[in-house]
Amino acid sequence: MDITLFTPKETQYLFNNNGHIDMQSTSHASTTSRSSDSGEPSGAAANGKWASRLLRECARAICEKDSSKIHHLLWMLNELSSPYGDCDQKLASYFLQALFCKATESGQRCHKTLTSVAEKSHSFDSARKLILKFQEVSPWTTFGHVASNGAILEALDGESKLHIIDISNTLCTQWPTLLEALATRNDETPRLKLTVIVSVSMERSVMKEIGQRMEKFARLMGVPFEFRVISGLSRLSELTKEELGVQEDEAVAVNCIGSLHRVEVDERRGVIRMLQSLRPKVVTVVEEEADFLSSRNDFVTCFEECLRFYTLYFEMLEDSFVPTSNEKLMLERECARSIVRVLAYDDHNDQSGVTGGGDCERRERGCQWSERFKEGFLPTRFSDDVIDDVKALLKRYRAGWNLVLPQGDENNIGIYLTWKEEPVVWVSAWKP
Amino acid sequence: MLVKMTEETISNNLIPNPNSGSNPPPIKRKRNLPGTPDPEAEVIALSPKTLMATNRFLCEICGKGFQRDQNLQLHRRGHNLPWKLKQRTGKEPKKRVYVCPEKSCVHNHPSRALGDLTGIKKHFSRKHGEKKWKCEKCSKRYAVQSDWKAHSKTCGTREYKCDCGTLFSRRDSFITHRAFCDALAEETARITAAASINNVTAGNLNYHFMGNPLVPNMSQHFSSLFKPISGNDQVIDQSRHGLSLWMGQTSQGHGSVGSTISLHELHQISSSGVIYNDPLLSCLNPPPSDYQLNWVFGSKISSNNGEELSSTLSQHESAPSLYSTQRTNTTTHQTPSMNMSATALLQKAAQIGPTSTGPTFSGSFVLKCNNTDQVQDGNRICGLYGTTTTNTPPSSILGGGTENNNSTMNDLSSLNQLQMHPAKRQKISLSEDNGGGGQTRDFLGVGVQPICHPSSINGWI
Repeated sequence: MDITLFTPKETQYLFNNNGHIDMQSTSHASTTSRSSDSGEPSGAAANGKWASRLLRECARAICEKDSSKIHHLLWMLNELSSPYGDCDQKLASYFLQALFCKATESGQRCHKTLTSVAEKSHSFDSARKLILKFQEVSPWTTFGHVASNGAILEALDGESKLHIIDISNTLCTQWPTLLEALATRNDETPRLKLTVIVSVSMERSVMKEIGQRMEKFARLMGVPFEFRVISGLSRLSELTKEELGVQEDEAVAVNCIGSLHRVEVDERRGVIRMLQSLRPKVVTVVEEEADFLSSRNDFVTCFEECLRFYTLYFEMLEDSFVPTSNEKLMLERECARSIVRVLAYDDHNDQSGVTGGGDCERRERGCQWSERFKEGFLPTRFSDDVIDDVKALLKRYRAGWNLVLPQGDENNIGIYLTWKEEPVVWVSAWKP
Repeated sequence: MLVKMTEETISNNLIPNPNSGSNPPPIKRKRNLPGTPDPEAEVIALSPKTLMATNRFLCEICGKGFQRDQNLQLHRRGHNLPWKLKQRTGKEPKKRVYVCPEKSCVHNHPSRALGDLTGIKKHFSRKHGEKKWKCEKCSKRYAVQSDWKAHSKTCGTREYKCDCGTLFSRRDSFITHRAFCDALAEETARITAAASINNVTAGNLNYHFMGNPLVPNMSQHFSSLFKPISGNDQVIDQSRHGLSLWMGQTSQGHGSVGSTISLHELHQISSSGVIYNDPLLSCLNPPPSDYQLNWVFGSKISSNNGEELSSTLSQHESAPSLYSTQRTNTTTHQTPSMNMSATALLQKAAQIGPTSTGPTFSGSFVLKCNNTDQVQDGNRICGLYGTTTTNTPPSSILGGGTENNNSTMNDLSSLNQLQMHPAKRQKISLSEDNGGGGQTRDFLGVGVQPICHPSSINGWI
């Protein structure tokens, strides 16, 4: 990404006589003290968390509309960042892009470009490889799978006709283990109908292939199986029972993994009402623990929260994958889109009307989602067996992962996956 | 002291100490049925505290407690008791049975008391006790230490191998991988390609054959079948004889190799577990297009043969059920409605009898048959399959056709395996089992060579 922000003349201005960038002369509050080294990327590494400092500085500058400072910081970040470097450099790179878009108000365009680029290189094989590898090295996603499957199996125990409505980003990687459990746990294997709701166009294209694999696998397991794909994430709140193919004699479970935050904020309430109308036996919700919502009008706070979350995520990726992993790179690139979306692509100012497409990125924390769900559902605890399964799962991964249970308190619903003591993923189950 | 304690505990309990004749079951059952004790026995009802107490044997002199009676006796010697008192208060060792103190438990009633003190202790712990022992690797919990120890020995020792060659130590990642693995897709592609070359019928024929795991004893029984078909009369007769188990009808005489074999002949051949498709059939003319071997396969049928299947099914009740377990690996034409669950079919198959089978599963799972003692792993199926060049059913995780051409069932470790879910969640237990590694044989019959070259197959592939 080549950003030519400065004419040679400006660059000259920035450098003082020593050939070093003179921070003092350009910024009022020089919080970055080690200016002498800032010219070289390698030297900056010694400064520790230089990226977050610079990034925050820049965000503040954008808020204050201090254009010279903005320029300066963007330039520096550009020099220092790299999507192929260490964590700091990567974060700097991706957030720089978002900040730039914000400063130049080109977020929408940028996002579109990123999306179409990603779509072109997207395929069933690449997606499968990516997601399976990620699940192998990190419990970030499998945590939610295991807990949800456990809750679903228990809630639907004894039923003979099951219908699971899957609104998630898991590409069905959650279901093989569930199918296996259905086949082995009971004397009478129930029938399973799986309705997957997609919207992100990338996912749609691979869904067909995924569906075939699922069907085959279900046959293998000996589970009567039906698979359907529905496009409708963009208008989730308007889906009806008929559209989803929910029949009276079916026991319904709804599984929402990483998808609720893609619903436009105003629609979220409607979605919960829609879920209620399906009369499910259980609703499982898995979301990443981050709050991009309450601060949506305060850029700096939102930025900091975003930075915090993605720092955690990138560090986790760094720790879980091998350094040269291609999958890690791809996952990081996917973040680029999200980051731009949150920071630079303001829903309010969207000139072209409803963006729809289910690509909103306003995440909420578990407690916030709980408040929403409480309006139509009652929280249920995960059983001890499920908790045990989850704990056993975490043991199979590297150290650093932990399970945190709600502490007695009424408002603490769901379980959290923590990475180095920081809660990162929230899972909960709800009953009508 | 010991006697005193016993009395105390009994009087503390709701159930009084009945003497002989206490609640004899109305029908006199055999004594050694678990939980149905000798009516003459003395029923002891211990409180939970006493039951779980570790030092039940108390010395009457100093009050010290011991876990075992022998230990107590040893200790008493140290008190230098006069000889007379050394003797036990001479009561006959009376037969004692114990009831579970938990009121809601079935063993609470004297008629279902357990005869062994250790047994009732373990039972109480397992069912009503706190699970204090936890497996480190998988977080499974146990109340009884010996259970926990036994589990720990085997936990995590299994490995899973996918068709594509990848090895997994974790079951969940194996399952997920398997579902998305290209190897899975390939097998079906082969099947459907095969099916599209012949009739659907033929395709199914091969397919079903492939999927049919053969019980070792059966294959031995009919190994002669695998000899070149040219000498078929005898072979068929043998098979017919042996197959009367399945064949509700007598077979008609059949012609020479060259002629079309009637449905029944082929039934026999097929139900004898001919797992080859190609070699055997290649020596026959292609069957008539209305050849409905699919009847063999229970409720799963291709759309073409739906009606025939159901009609033949009614005639051959026992036989189809054997194969009906193949529901999992039928072709893509499979109808979504299934009459029986896989596990129910398994159970049915198990009931057929010793000569039949055991888990004739369509090779949907092959367990690592190291654990031959774990018979109660209900869904274990030792899938066998046939030649492989083509038509390994998609369900056979057993893997990819080609490599198994010459593999014997003994070499299970080389097969892809999916260990079924541990016993905890099993509700089915098959009494019949292939017996795992020990009994498995080369389904091709011992040392039997393929009858014909695949190349001469008349489009049967």
